[in-house]
Amino acid sequence: MKKLFAMLLLAVVVISFSFAQEKVTVWGWRPQDVPLWQKVERILQSRGVKVSIDYQPFLSSEYFSKLYATLQGGSGPDIMYTGRLPKFPAFRSEIEQKYQASYPLIEGNFLLPLDGKVDFSNFPDSTMNLIRQNGTTWGVPFANQIVGIFYNTEIFEKYNLKEPSTWDELLAICDKLLKNKVTPFYVSGKDAWTLAMQNAIVSVSYPGEDWIAKLLNGETRFTDPQYVEMLTALNDLKKYYQKDFSANSLAELDMAFPMGQAAMVFDGIFGSANWLQSNPDFKFGFFPAPPKVKGVNPKVYVYMDGSLAIYAKSKHQAAALEVLKFTATPEFGKLFSEETGEMTAVKGVTMPADKPVLVECYKAAMSIASKSIYWTGGPFDMGKPTVYTILSPNMQAMYLGMLSPADFAAKIQDGVGIWYPPFKK
Amino acid sequence: MTAKVNVVHKEYAVKKHLYLLMIVPALVVYTLFAAYPFISSLSLSFFDWGGVGPKKFIGLQNYQMILHGILSQEFYRAVVHNAIYFIGTWALTIIPGLFFAFLLNSGLKGTNIFKIIFFFPNVLPIIVIGFLFSLLLNPQWGPINAFLRGIGLEALVRPWLGDVKFAFPTIIVISSWKMLGFYILVFLAAMLSVGKDQIEAARLDGASEMHIGWSIVLPHIFPTVVTLTILKFIGAFNVFDIVYAMEGTQAGPAGATDVLGTLFYRLAFGGLGSTAMGMGLGAAVVSLIFVIVFPLSILYVFILDRRMGGIE
Repeated sequence: MKKLFAMLLLAVVVISFSFAQEKVTVWGWRPQDVPLWQKVERILQSRGVKVSIDYQPFLSSEYFSKLYATLQGGSGPDIMYTGRLPKFPAFRSEIEQKYQASYPLIEGNFLLPLDGKVDFSNFPDSTMNLIRQNGTTWGVPFANQIVGIFYNTEIFEKYNLKEPSTWDELLAICDKLLKNKVTPFYVSGKDAWTLAMQNAIVSVSYPGEDWIAKLLNGETRFTDPQYVEMLTALNDLKKYYQKDFSANSLAELDMAFPMGQAAMVFDGIFGSANWLQSNPDFKFGFFPAPPKVKGVNPKVYVYMDGSLAIYAKSKHQAAALEVLKFTATPEFGKLFSEETGEMTAVKGVTMPADKPVLVECYKAAMSIASKSIYWTGGPFDMGKPTVYTILSPNMQAMYLGMLSPADFAAKIQDGVGIWYPPFKK
Repeated sequence: MTAKVNVVHKEYAVKKHLYLLMIVPALVVYTLFAAYPFISSLSLSFFDWGGVGPKKFIGLQNYQMILHGILSQEFYRAVVHNAIYFIGTWALTIIPGLFFAFLLNSGLKGTNIFKIIFFFPNVLPIIVIGFLFSLLLNPQWGPINAFLRGIGLEALVRPWLGDVKFAFPTIIVISSWKMLGFYILVFLAAMLSVGKDQIEAARLDGASEMHIGWSIVLPHIFPTVVTLTILKFIGAFNVFDIVYAMEGTQAGPAGATDVLGTLFYRLAFGGLGSTAMGMGLGAAVVSLIFVIVFPLSILYVFILDRRMGGIE
């Protein structure tokens, strides 16, 4: 009898507790964020915020179609992960914004304006520009990504190698590694988007940030000899890649690199979690793509990964707002970096000391991020065809010998030249 | 008399309505899951729509972009790939399917085990096949290249899924391997309906097994061959899953495996960087696939109708 009474009491307590919590549904494309949201829920509850968080991650390739279909059907999650907005406000009036992932959500009145509701003082303007439109803020940025060259520190130490400061030094490292029968680079050539990323990683140092700035202003073109030279340098680098790299996927890279099958990879900090999963003892470092000549400062490619927005018709708007307010704090930024091993978008956060490469990447992102970029997050994302869609298959074509660097450059110029306003002047 | 006629008429009317009533469930399902999505997709192809929010009517601009504009090169390349896929998978399923069905029908020992072996790949999910073959075909340590090296055929070793010339034929072979068992079973079922007396009589007349197969069995199952060919054509122009599983939506290397299904997926759902979705463009591709497949579908229905008539 006593047992039954105790069980009934427990049931009542559990039921009343669950009724007291307001359930906030969060939809996103990042499965790695599940533990993060569990911690956020615990922290908020410990502070008396009566909220429970139900985070549902979807396949990144299917996320937006599922989200849009649900919103179109008249319902939606309380909080949703959204993409970036155009980075260059100067061109906004000239470029069709409909091609941006978040734009249809704003145009369709699905997002709640957050100005005055969330404190955005912890974000730099450069990040906020990516989620503001006509003075209205539509989301809380959650991550910045940095892409560059990662290397196996044990291999570098074994052969007494130092991070290169010029392209020639990089080639010298590759030659030394080859001589010692070590594969210099592991490249996931089957996943075309990673080749486009590789192109972008190199571009910010060689031909460089200033050249990209001229390109964005329409003062130069992709067919410029400097750009063709960079493509040629990349094409020549392929002799240092693993044999038959065109058939290897990113999943294979995530296993091969931490197992010491190659010394370097072109990748983002987002890959580090997978490497450590394959080999928890893996030690790696990071350096930006080196410029062609000494004296030019190398740059890194940094872009805002996405933001958190509130569904305008959410029935739990107040609770969702409480969650979003927390995600705009340095405390969340620290938690995000600790849990995911990636860079928070919140400024002034101390990166976890047990993740030295993350600390290094964060420092690089704060100090040597390229102001001008043309891959993801740049203005060439804003029309059709995007540079992204041209780079991916044509990087493969160049590496496979189907396209010369000059023809490749012409192809990019022809594709983007159709719609990019500064190129039409 | 008039009363009797009225009763008959009434009965006829009730029966007529009963027939109509009986097709209602099928009609509802068809309307909901076939007619409505198709009409909706067709109408969407005249709009510029990112998948959510307001749609903008743009007339035939999506078709113009696909057939004559910036997407035309990708579109026609995909059409050619679909045609190659049809020819390749036809040759690697219908012909061997017939051959193995003849063998299995000839009463050899262990027929049932072979039927299971042939049919087994057909029940494997496509995503499992994609994963399995990505391991088998790994250029560095995959067992297929290792086997070729082991038997001294180093010259044949290649990055199968990363080679512009070999990636698509590899997919065609894998897809055919998966489907072969199904074709064998269908041909076997058709062969079982050939009159045994006819075959016995031919044997008594001294006809060889080859001659019996060529002159009696093949003509008998020819309509099945035609039906399967038409279904294969329709399937070939709708192929997506195997290419997606082996090469992703980019259908690389350098678009060498791109088909209309993957082109549709990329256009409709974006998925690259922050490229937004283009449901109108995707819908236009779907409508064009329909234009290609529809005449063959009509032919299929016509043949099916004639065969049903023959059975009656």
